[in-house]
Amino acid sequence: MEKITYSLLSVKNKPERLHALLAGMKGIAGTDLYELSFDEITVVVSNVSRACLIAGQSTALEYAGVIETLSQHFTLLPMRFGSLMESNEAIIHMLEKNHPDIEQNLLKVENKYEFGLKVFCDSGKLMAEIRVKSEADGKTPAKPDVKIKNSVSRDWLNKKLIEHRLEELLVTYVDSVIAEITGQLDRLKAISKIKKMVTPTTIIDAVFLLDKALKDELIHTVSDLQNKYPGLNFIMTGPWPPYNFVDFTVK
Amino acid sequence: MHDNVIDRNKDITILEVLDRVLNKGVILTGDVVISVADVDLVYLGVKLMLSSVETMERLKSGQAIGVDGVKG
Repeated sequence: MEKITYSLLSVKNKPERLHALLAGMKGIAGTDLYELSFDEITVVVSNVSRACLIAGQSTALEYAGVIETLSQHFTLLPMRFGSLMESNEAIIHMLEKNHPDIEQNLLKVENKYEFGLKVFCDSGKLMAEIRVKSEADGKTPAKPDVKIKNSVSRDWLNKKLIEHRLEELLVTYVDSVIAEITGQLDRLKAISKIKKMVTPTTIIDAVFLLDKALKDELIHTVSDLQNKYPGLNFIMTGPWPPYNFVDFTVK
Repeated sequence: MHDNVIDRNKDITILEVLDRVLNKGVILTGDVVISVADVDLVYLGVKLMLSSVETMERLKSGQAIGVDGVKG
């Protein structure tokens, strides 16, 4: 049997509250949950067999469900699914060895939510709009003046030059949308991690960490952004436990 | 309030959950994880990650796909 760890959390002066909560919950495959602590850091654990861990998607969702319930009551750092240890003693040793990092990360996420934001576009439509605008602005002439006599080569090169220029303009456009988003979020003092152009239609994939009290303001802000960019599709999810804002590896 | 941006689509939410729990969070280093999180589990995680973004896009475009139908 292995020990699967669900999350690292701070119970401060309320360990009995965690104990009562765990008594009413189950871990993956219906296993009992228990806690182990070092100083004020606690880890939630259950005993599992290897067979449970490769049961598939439903097991991962059960695991996430435990973390979600705990996060509604405590500040926590979610563990990645499959975080196993050999014994309770090894777990305590891990807490002791990593105490400063764990404590620092718990402080960072205290009273904060994570939200996800993906921005989708109709890539064909967006590129067509960029092309029309760029031709109107004179940034991409309909027929670039490439001085090659061979018409086939010239046409091919023209096409490639226009495509390259339009891709540059798309990146510029996406950067402007990101700048708008981050400008708005600076007001909310949100920590953000943003990836752009993840796929041709997912132009922005972002996560934010901000004070719980500012949740409604964030939703309002993103709604306003959606109204400002009606051709894009803003999809928010959350609140989440701070999966994307845990910045250390447990030794 | 402002429900137009918060997505409550169950399938998209499940993909987001799986993406987080399989690919994010505190990482335990060491042989224990590597030896027990065997090929099937790691492959499952990578497969889901590769499909999650594209599946979300298909869901948003209205193409039907069930939760169990996520394919890599």
